[in-house]
Amino acid sequence: MIVFITGGAKNGKSSYAQDLAVKLANGGKHYYLATMIPCDEEDRDRIRHHLVDRAGLGFETLEQGRDIAKCLEHTDKEGTFLLDSVTALLLNELYPDPTTWKLDPAAPDRCQAGLEALCGQVKNIVLVSDYIYSDAMKYGEETEIYRRGLAQLDRFLAGISDTVIEVSAGSHIIHKGGIGL
Amino acid sequence: MKLIIGGAYQGKHAFAKEKFGFSEEQIFLCTDTAIDFSRPCIDRLEEYVLACVQAGIDPLEKLKQQDLSDKVIICMDIFCGVVPIDATMRLWRHTTGLVCQYLAKNADNVYRIYCGLEQKLK
Repeated sequence: MIVFITGGAKNGKSSYAQDLAVKLANGGKHYYLATMIPCDEEDRDRIRHHLVDRAGLGFETLEQGRDIAKCLEHTDKEGTFLLDSVTALLLNELYPDPTTWKLDPAAPDRCQAGLEALCGQVKNIVLVSDYIYSDAMKYGEETEIYRRGLAQLDRFLAGISDTVIEVSAGSHIIHKGGIGL
Repeated sequence: MKLIIGGAYQGKHAFAKEKFGFSEEQIFLCTDTAIDFSRPCIDRLEEYVLACVQAGIDPLEKLKQQDLSDKVIICMDIFCGVVPIDATMRLWRHTTGLVCQYLAKNADNVYRIYCGLEQKLK
């Protein structure tokens, strides 16, 4: 089962996704695919917060900031996977070299291929993304490449998912399928 | 009239083509203060509103003068961010909101496109 979860920032997507992944795992193996590559103390704080939030839920954490399908080399495909977040994964792929920070325009297609491979092979996967498309701003070109790329991944994932959920203020709106739990 | 709203890059244009069978030629893409009302579908209405705001034109009054009953209108949802610091962008957001409310009220159907998926609001 593929579940895609998105919505605005700070609405409880990660907590909701964690609970859902644990339920889908139903006592079986479950993996947390950590995508954030920390750059500073603020990032490390967020990671610590997420670690506390999922402590005791039984996740095995794998650091996979790029080349997302590579996690299949060290995991049981019959398990349940939680990928949090598509947003961070694309950012890392867009800037593959942290010394030059040169944008790689092929990143969205590469991410999509990786996600397709991953989603196609595992028993259950829950993916979390961020809805960043509804503000009254004219962004610079690089930001628009990022927004367009993330929307490409979101639409792709929503298309292949069994269930699509928008989380808003900790509540959820089901756009496709059902949870069936 | 049908109104299609949704955030940037969510697949509104593709949805209009699929749902109503439009070709590219039937869809007018707004870039300035002029709209070709001979076409059945009008996309990027937010760009029209921005051009009007910058030119000191009231787009809502202009739209009220048109018979839009057979049109499919697409507008970006630009309403969920921080209040823009720039006065023109603030007026743009405000006016686009008023335009969308007017259109939604007069529309037979309102669709919100979310990650390429249709959500029928009206």
